[in-house]
Amino acid sequence: MLNLQSLGSSLVQRAQQLIDPMQGLNLTSSDKNPSKASLFQSQFRLPSSQTPLYEIAAELTIPPAGVTQGDKDHDRGWHYAGRLHLSEAYMCFSTTPSSFLQSASTSSSQSFTGQTHGAGPNGNGFTFPLCSIKRVERLNSQNFQFSLAITTWNGVLFLPKSQRDSKDPKELKEQRITLHLAGSRNACERFCDGLKRGLRAALGNLPKLRNVVAECYSEYLLRPDDKDKKTVSPPDAGLGMAFRYPGDPKKLRDRAKMRLWHEYLRDNGRNMTLVRQPTFHKLIRVGLPNRLRGEIWELTSGSIYLRLEHPTLYAETLEKHAGRESLAIDEIEKDLNRSLPEYPGFQTDDGIDRLRRVLTAYSWVNADVGYCQAMNIVVAALLIYMSEAQAFFLLSALCDRLVPGYYSTTMYGTLLDQKVFEGLVEKTMPILWEHLVKSDVQLSVVSLPWFLSLYINSMPLVFAFRVLDVFFVEGPKVLFQVGLAILRINGEELLDATDDGAFISVLKTYFSRLDESAHPKSENYKLRAVTKFQELMVVAFKEFSNITHSSITDLRLKNKDAVLNNIENFAKRTAIRNLGPDSKTINPDELGALYDRFYGVLYERQQRDMILQEEKRRKAKSARSRIPDMSPDAHHGIEKGRVGLGPSTSLMDYDAFREFLAGMAKWAISDHSPATPRRENSDQRSFASMRRSEALMSPWGAGPEPADHEFTQRLFRHWDVNNTGTLTLQDVVSGMARIKGKRDIMGAINYFFELYDEDIDGKVDREGILSMSEALLFLSRRGLEGTLSPSLHEFNSQQQPPNQPPPTPVLTTPELTLPGVSLPEKFLGSVSAFIRRCFEYADPDHPKNQRSLGGCQQAGDKSEPAVDNNAFAIGDDDDEEEEDLLTLESPPGSPKAAAQKPTSFSSSQESGGDTDARRTVSKAQSEAANVALDPANPLHITLPTFRMVILADELLEQFFESSFPTSFHVIDGIGGSNGATTPSSLTTFTNMGLVPRSAFGPAGSSQQVPPGMAGPGRGLRGVLDNIVTAAGEVRRRVEEAQKELEKNALPEQGDEDEEEDEDYSPGESQKKRTTSMVGEAERRSVLSSDRDLLEGADAEAGARDDNTASEFSDPKSGSLAISATSTPRPGSSQPVQRIVEFEG
Amino acid sequence: MADGPKPSSSVKLVLLGEAAVGKSSLVLRFVNNDFQENKEPTIGAAFLTQKCNLPTRTIKFEIWDTAGQERFASLAPMYYRNAQAALVVYDLTKPTSLVKAKHWVAELQRQASPGIVIALVGNKLDLTSDGEGVRSGGDGSGDADVAEGEESGDARKVTTLEAQSYAQEESLLFFETSAKTGYNVTEVFTAIANAIPETSLKTTRGSNQAQGRTGDEQQRVNLNANSAGAKDGCAC
Repeated sequence: MLNLQSLGSSLVQRAQQLIDPMQGLNLTSSDKNPSKASLFQSQFRLPSSQTPLYEIAAELTIPPAGVTQGDKDHDRGWHYAGRLHLSEAYMCFSTTPSSFLQSASTSSSQSFTGQTHGAGPNGNGFTFPLCSIKRVERLNSQNFQFSLAITTWNGVLFLPKSQRDSKDPKELKEQRITLHLAGSRNACERFCDGLKRGLRAALGNLPKLRNVVAECYSEYLLRPDDKDKKTVSPPDAGLGMAFRYPGDPKKLRDRAKMRLWHEYLRDNGRNMTLVRQPTFHKLIRVGLPNRLRGEIWELTSGSIYLRLEHPTLYAETLEKHAGRESLAIDEIEKDLNRSLPEYPGFQTDDGIDRLRRVLTAYSWVNADVGYCQAMNIVVAALLIYMSEAQAFFLLSALCDRLVPGYYSTTMYGTLLDQKVFEGLVEKTMPILWEHLVKSDVQLSVVSLPWFLSLYINSMPLVFAFRVLDVFFVEGPKVLFQVGLAILRINGEELLDATDDGAFISVLKTYFSRLDESAHPKSENYKLRAVTKFQELMVVAFKEFSNITHSSITDLRLKNKDAVLNNIENFAKRTAIRNLGPDSKTINPDELGALYDRFYGVLYERQQRDMILQEEKRRKAKSARSRIPDMSPDAHHGIEKGRVGLGPSTSLMDYDAFREFLAGMAKWAISDHSPATPRRENSDQRSFASMRRSEALMSPWGAGPEPADHEFTQRLFRHWDVNNTGTLTLQDVVSGMARIKGKRDIMGAINYFFELYDEDIDGKVDREGILSMSEALLFLSRRGLEGTLSPSLHEFNSQQQPPNQPPPTPVLTTPELTLPGVSLPEKFLGSVSAFIRRCFEYADPDHPKNQRSLGGCQQAGDKSEPAVDNNAFAIGDDDDEEEEDLLTLESPPGSPKAAAQKPTSFSSSQESGGDTDARRTVSKAQSEAANVALDPANPLHITLPTFRMVILADELLEQFFESSFPTSFHVIDGIGGSNGATTPSSLTTFTNMGLVPRSAFGPAGSSQQVPPGMAGPGRGLRGVLDNIVTAAGEVRRRVEEAQKELEKNALPEQGDEDEEEDEDYSPGESQKKRTTSMVGEAERRSVLSSDRDLLEGADAEAGARDDNTASEFSDPKSGSLAISATSTPRPGSSQPVQRIVEFEG
Repeated sequence: MADGPKPSSSVKLVLLGEAAVGKSSLVLRFVNNDFQENKEPTIGAAFLTQKCNLPTRTIKFEIWDTAGQERFASLAPMYYRNAQAALVVYDLTKPTSLVKAKHWVAELQRQASPGIVIALVGNKLDLTSDGEGVRSGGDGSGDADVAEGEESGDARKVTTLEAQSYAQEESLLFFETSAKTGYNVTEVFTAIANAIPETSLKTTRGSNQAQGRTGDEQQRVNLNANSAGAKDGCAC
């Protein structure tokens, strides 16, 4: 009967509670749909490791006090209907219905039904760690299928073993409660199975439990009165034990409270095994007794469960970081002497040291928060009532759950709750609100400290602690209720106040008189005895009982964006202003856009990472547990980080940098499939390790895959001025300032040179020159942007290749084409000329001269080093126009340029396929001995040389003057709309119809085209590789030529193992000159395959424009031609790999 | 017009600056002529008032003393909103604090009320060897954080010239003070009071009359403030 009744009443209760608090504080996870797990954790204040595994309706029966055991007492005692939950390590029961449907998935509860919304342990029930359960018995019951008798370790944990095992229940006074499960047989059995498993797993935690519980004062309080009681010292219940607790114990009626608590704990279990009954909540409302205060705070806030999870964390943290310094520590030190300085405990070293340790330890475990002023006050207050470890974990619970974001680096939680508070004032006290608005008094200047320091430094301590008592059980809504009550009670006087000053002084006076009678003039002595504080509590919890967690959550949600935007605007403004002198050269809009992009990329990547991890975890879990969790929307709980939420990330690693570049520069978008082998050298290995091994989703999100080119690596290293492997916003801005800042061509040229002059000796060697040319090709492969000279525009008449859509004028200058020759082709020519000229004008690198060269270089850029003459002499040997590496060189617009291009790749062999002929030519050429290419003669170019070479070519000049800086679209980026990411806009030979599709089919088909890359002819993208790696081919050819040279020089000597000789030191090179026949054969085969492909290219090119081939007759020019510029290889990896070998 | 008591008007003044440069101490010195070793850190902001008697009028300062910790910076707009004057404080012995001060000046010029009077104040002059005999010897208990190296006799790390020329550039009032000894503290507030343009005063009691003296001070008033978006800055 009674059971039915209680079930019925629970329904009523349930209905009533539909208007009850929601405590969703999960601002950092999904707001609208807090996950079932997070609601569960909030409701029972459990650590985030706990997820609700089983749930079942149940009735809790607590035997009446004094009764120990016996079936005849079954109907006596208290009965509560509610729901029983089981998580990994906890069994929880609450009469407050859970806030989620049983059918909701663990990760989301879209069908949010309840009202608690994780309201905390304000219902009746218990939260037992499974390790605190000593025994579970199944009882026979008439009413229920399953009845479990739970016996806990309550009270017996510290008894000697002999006593503990005593069979006499009277002597033991074990805590024993009964649970009747109400559910299908199946559900009950499942629950019991789960419980069994959990209990088994929890066995090992008993020592932990013992440790944690030993610090609870209740254990001492309830010790049986035996002879040890006097000798055992009580556990640390805070500084108050030594320095007295604030307030007059008599006035606080501490003794009486203690007696009531003693009774309650005796009958209902203590600390971990405490069962919440209505008395519990009442006892808390009237104020906790001093010595138990810390423990109850710990219990109601749930921080005790954090401590149980990792009892030694506090000590370990301190030990681990002993002697280390941090910004937070500096800040803490400044405030130690000014935290509740009026409390005697904090006028001593003991108190100060405790405070220092707790704050420091927390700053280490939560470095994102670190230390925030006001934490010192809160922790100081906690330390009066609890031990250091207890305060440490309670601080965690505060920062993570109770007042999230309050102490973060942006204090968004504080600002948000101020907005919410203002909203509530407006709603509940419209007249006062109107008055505030009219007199231009900003409420938050008054109320912010209330919330931030939890009223501790606003009210006299004794009263602030009373507020805290309730706050820890009922959650943050208490702060609002109290705040509103303060305003309501003082409403009249506040209406008279017309400025901040008056407003503040009214409240100050009020706080100082909280202990006075609220109705001093009342006839009724009982009424007279009511203090202002009591009145405040009544008003707060009665009049504002409609302030619930649900209303607060709603208001938080409503205001969140505005608050975060405000913070972010401020942060951005500040960050940009503080960026230093470099940033001044970039225009403010671009600076703002850079800032947005920087954090945009970081946060997006962070979120993707979290989703991936979540996914992994989920998979691992569902593989392990029997509960399948297949909800597809599993990651909606992960919210993107924001600057406003606190800078959780502010460093950009290489991959992020690539993504960052790809967001604003066309050339930074990859043409490769993700599987493309990357160049692996020592620099890169660290980058590679950052990458996720397995991509569960595209590692680049929705954006295009960023390119990974030697140039981007170089740029990254160069911007990473402190060599940390990461870039700060400052690094990025400074780097960008060099490129986009001054917009002078000399600056741009110098900068480019710097990128390749890694040892800053003013010289770039052969490798560097080749890398430069590679980079130039890389940067130009999607077309050139910016202002190009009129002389080029003239030839703009014959426009686009057939399959190329009209270009978007905003971002790209039209692809310029001569009859048959596009601008990019011309650019290829320029690059070719660049390489040739570089080698031509390079300085020899004889060790003798090296120093003087370097010296000269530093002395003055303009003065050509004396050795230059030698360099010229060397170069002059074969200084001929035809010696063009790319064979594309020609004055812009000359018909020759137009003609050369397509066929240049296959050298002069019109018929194709005659390798021997080719070889011969090659040999002949190398006999001409381009000394510049001889690794035995290391060489370098200096900045003046580089400048000269660049300025000698109109197109290159324009590239540095305009094209390169323009290619960073900092502000508008490269959205899909402008076509930058579609392959059709790529300047490829494919697009120009120069290469047959078949040639690169394989590469194309193997590609995983990122979203946004789809477009006509996307399979043809592989051909791009060839442009990009053209310089790789140049290298190859250079090597080849070198081999030829070597072969000629030392025909007999052959060392098969060292075909790729990377040692350039002149002394060594003589010895090591090698020619490998094997290598030769290999090269030949590659070449012939190249040639096959090229034939196709030729054919198509020829079909398009017949006169191209005819111009191309100079055999010399073919010898070192970059065949690969147009060689569509099936895979681009080969040249790349060769480079690796090249560098060793 | 000005019969009876001198015209009185209130001026909202905000203190900004890095943590522990002595903002609160300056205020305490000005308001109570007192100096405290361990003041509770300012949570959000503290509010104090003090009158400043000028020959022709009385200015009642409503002083918002803000928290200096970096993360409280985002709260600052709440406090400097509608402020007519600002005291940007740095620590003479700590160059970084001047950098921070410059940031604040820039912020105020862009975001605060147009025409806000800004005074740049280098505090802790007592820790330096100059300061016209204000040095109080080597006990050096200073403000919340004691500059190191005071034993050397001169812990000054920011020269008067450097700060002064910056102040001139930005049209700021400039002072070097010691909250500890009280040197120059009142002078700062008096100068600010004088620099407040008549028009921006809340005209409670006939303060409309032309005041030659304040007119002379106009040149020091920072007129560079960018009025655009002055109100956007409020972070709450």
